[in-house]
Amino acid sequence: MIQLKHISKHYPVGFGKNEVLKDVDLTIFPGEFVSIMGPSGSGKSTLLHILGLLEEPSTGEYLFEGEPVQRMSEKKRTQLHRGSIGFVFQAYHLIDELTVYENIETPLLYKNMPASERKSRVADVLDRFNMVAKKDLFPNQLSGGQQQLVGIARAIVAEPRVILADEPTGNLHSDQARVIMQMFKHLNETDKITIIQVTHSEQNAAFGHRVIEIRDGKIQ
Amino acid sequence: MFKNYLKIAWRNLWKQKVFTLINVGGLTIGLTVGLLLLLWVKNELSYDRYNTKWDRIYRLTTDIHVNGSDFISSQVQDVMGPTLVQDYPQVEKFVRLQPQRDIMVQKGHETLQEKKAAWADSSIFEVFTLPLLAGNPKTALTAPFSVVLSETAARKYFQSTDIVGKMLHINNTADYRVTGVMKDMPDASHFHFDFLLSMSERANSRSNNWGNHDYYTYVLVRPGVDNAFLNARLKDITYKYVSPFYQQILHFSLEEIEKQGSHVRYAAMPLSDIHFYANRADQSFIEPSGNIQYVYIFSAAGIFILLIACINFMNLSTARSASRAREVGVRKTLGSQRKQLILQFLSESWLICAMAMLLALVAAAILLPFFSEMAGKKMTINLLDQPQLIVYFIGLLLIVGLLAGAYPAFFLSGFKPLQVLKGKLLSGSNTGGLRSALVVVQFVISSVLIIGTIVIYNQLQYIQHRQIGYDRRQVLVLQNTYPLYKQVNAFREAILRIPGVENGTMTGFLPTGQYRQSPSFFKDRNAAIKDAITTEAWQVDQHYIPTLGMKVVAGRNFDPQNFGTDSSAIIINETAAKMLGFKDPLGKELYDPKTDVSDLRASHIIGVIKDFNFNSLHHPVTPLILRLQEERGSMAFRVKTDHIQDLVEKVRQQWDAMVPGQPFLYAFMDNEFNTLYQADQRTGNIFIWFAVLAIIVACLGLAGLAIFTAEQRTKEIGIRKVHGASVTDIVTLLSKDFIKLVLIAIVIATPLAWYVMNGWLDDFAYRTTIHWWVFLLAGCIAIVIALFTVSFQSIKAALTNPIKSLKTE
Ligand SMILES: Nc1ncnc2c1ncn2[C@@H]1O[C@H](COP(=O)(O)OP(=O)(O)OP(=O)(O)O)[C@@H](O)[C@H]1O
Ligand SMILES: [Mg+2]
Repeated sequence: MIQLKHISKHYPVGFGKNEVLKDVDLTIFPGEFVSIMGPSGSGKSTLLHILGLLEEPSTGEYLFEGEPVQRMSEKKRTQLHRGSIGFVFQAYHLIDELTVYENIETPLLYKNMPASERKSRVADVLDRFNMVAKKDLFPNQLSGGQQQLVGIARAIVAEPRVILADEPTGNLHSDQARVIMQMFKHLNETDKITIIQVTHSEQNAAFGHRVIEIRDGKIQ
Repeated sequence: MFKNYLKIAWRNLWKQKVFTLINVGGLTIGLTVGLLLLLWVKNELSYDRYNTKWDRIYRLTTDIHVNGSDFISSQVQDVMGPTLVQDYPQVEKFVRLQPQRDIMVQKGHETLQEKKAAWADSSIFEVFTLPLLAGNPKTALTAPFSVVLSETAARKYFQSTDIVGKMLHINNTADYRVTGVMKDMPDASHFHFDFLLSMSERANSRSNNWGNHDYYTYVLVRPGVDNAFLNARLKDITYKYVSPFYQQILHFSLEEIEKQGSHVRYAAMPLSDIHFYANRADQSFIEPSGNIQYVYIFSAAGIFILLIACINFMNLSTARSASRAREVGVRKTLGSQRKQLILQFLSESWLICAMAMLLALVAAAILLPFFSEMAGKKMTINLLDQPQLIVYFIGLLLIVGLLAGAYPAFFLSGFKPLQVLKGKLLSGSNTGGLRSALVVVQFVISSVLIIGTIVIYNQLQYIQHRQIGYDRRQVLVLQNTYPLYKQVNAFREAILRIPGVENGTMTGFLPTGQYRQSPSFFKDRNAAIKDAITTEAWQVDQHYIPTLGMKVVAGRNFDPQNFGTDSSAIIINETAAKMLGFKDPLGKELYDPKTDVSDLRASHIIGVIKDFNFNSLHHPVTPLILRLQEERGSMAFRVKTDHIQDLVEKVRQQWDAMVPGQPFLYAFMDNEFNTLYQADQRTGNIFIWFAVLAIIVACLGLAGLAIFTAEQRTKEIGIRKVHGASVTDIVTLLSKDFIKLVLIAIVIATPLAWYVMNGWLDDFAYRTTIHWWVFLLAGCIAIVIALFTVSFQSIKAALTNPIKSLKTE
């Protein structure tokens, strides 16, 4: 499904540069549930952003479902964002001007889904996250954890083929975290959705099939 | 999807109430001004286009330059029109008009003065689009002593339009048969007549004389015939007919004239050009003509005010781009395409523009009567009558929306999602340069408008206070005193006996009037006609100079009691003295034709008077000769009283006693003087209003930016205050940058404004210069206004309790 070959990423810092990822090779198969772990600043988010087509690697090759990402047109990438990839941000990134309901609905709008189907899907997801009562609130009326839940709901509502989640439970109580993890596991097992998550918690990592350790930009 | 955009747009607008208010308010003002100016410009450009054949109608003009003096006129020879049609099949029709400044029309026992009358060829209804409500347009003006009335005149005299066959007694001499009633001529026409009299009663309408230039002549050409063709044919005619005429009567040929660098030219002016480009000297016929410069100035002003409002919009959206940028990032990761984002941002600005447009339409509709009054023309905003207006409005809406929303739409939508999500653009500082540049643009425009306002005001003041060579205050003018006939002197004596009347003169030639006369004069008796000098020559009485407070600088005033020879005496003005070139003009003789050039009469110069302005100050003083001779056209009395209306009433009683039933028409000379500058005054007023509005809109934007900056820097302000900064320090800190921008704007605006306003002033023969202090004053005004706007916000920010702002962080 996903194949990284000799991927590295560096940022210019002053006159030099800061190597964040160094020669990363990684293969993730369809239907896998993978956890990425590592200390703060080791490059986890950067790696996930590259996987999610949000950032370009400095060198190396990235194949998404066998297709080289570097050569994809803007249009094709947008297409992938609409159908194939669901992204959960470490910083939630909800749209402040939209309600919970509307935030979750947005990806479906971009998929041009008919209104009735949109309605039932959003209702279904709200139900699953126990957020029906909060559907008309705005992000700034929610707690950090609740916002994170909305972010996750938004990522899965379009039923993508890959979910990329950057510390999806970072702000949640461990009980809530377990519920999310179970949901991921369920999506992974029944819907065959590939899941890649970044986490600091051993327990969460245990829900996945394997753990990728990253340290100083290198996979261990 | 679109609904989703509108929803977000609406919530954004609601959340950012202050910014929305500034945006909508600014755009509303901008669009209102834009709409009003659009109507004005459209009206100006629509002159004479009501004629369905307007693009095939031309008016013939004369341009004769002989021996240093000019005869430029829109009148041509009586035979020119008929000859063109006879000789060239490309010219379909001609129509000649001979306006009559006033005719006397009898209504019951009263005689009323009518100012809008003309003799016209019967073809007038075929050339111009003047529909008849009654009568046959083909034959209405063929028979002598027939008259066609406008609807207004018909209702005034007969209370009906169904009056064909009725009779009207005109000019106390003849009965005219009403043969038609025409619809009133549209406002946007260069002529307006209520009475059209048949040309066929005029003997010279059939004359074959190539010397008299009596008629305004219009020709209708066949489709495809252009101006160049007509001009070429007019040149042919000049050689074929005019040259032999000169040869025969005056014994020299056109070729000889041209060898001396002089010329005799005839040309054709397209009908649609008349309103803007016609010779101003013809204003006795054409109503005060338009000035194409004003069309440019107003179009530019409208566009600039809209631009200022658009810049506000752009500036505030870039300032707030930080929060919008994050939205862009999120939407992109959720699969939004760039063009969808562009559409989203544009629909947002279109939404704002549409709100502003609706408000502007309402505002324009409310303000239109005032604006019409100010502009002195009738304008309507009736969308049903003018469907093309709707197209203009929608076009305006789309363009303004695009302009205003372009920056967020095209710039923000281009962000790479992660760049913005990682907060690279969150500070919004990298758009600060653009914002500053746009603020400078706004204040350049505002400063130019402020400078323009001061210059216009100065020039209008200058006109009011300039020494014009006579005293126009406290002069009562009685117009059309012809009916007094033999009683004129008795009447004058009677008026002079009224307490408060100091002096009085009788002549049609008043400095603020419109009667003018420019015959030819010669410096010696044997001169060839080509040596003729053209000057104004007026018949006045011996009371003229003292009554109007003019000054004799050499020689003396007329004095028929003591000098029997004064009937052949003349007084010239300084300009004439200069042109004649006599070392000492007193006692010198000038000659003018009694009937034709072979019979010259001699007049001796007895005095030189100081130049006085008898044209508008747009034109320089021209040579003038005063001659002692009775002219009963009007009278002017110098009065000195605190009860002017009582005095006028006494004069009226005297009038009614002597000529009962004749119209009593009076005016005050200073009012007459002011009407000369009505167009300038109006333009000045409109300009001042627009300058004020432009500045308000620009300040709205500045206030918005100040609010934004203060908001952005609340934390910094808090920290600084905790560490001991005073309110003044904070205000200076926050205001400094804005003031810098305004200063830069003034520096740029100064040469620009100088260039533009100098062009405007050049249109006046007598004009002020633009002094350096104008720029200084404008600069101070701009800075004070900007400072006031900005510091209001800054002070508010500086006064907030520091703990409050820090706690919320
Ligand atoms: N735009 C950038 N410019 C320069 N350096 C950057 C940039 N973005 C990230 N970095 C650096 O890259 C490194 C890795 O960042 P990344 O966000 O991937 O860490 P992380 O493993 O996700 O850490 P955390 O667990 O705290 O989220 C950090 O040292 C960071 O300073
Ligand atoms: Mg991270």
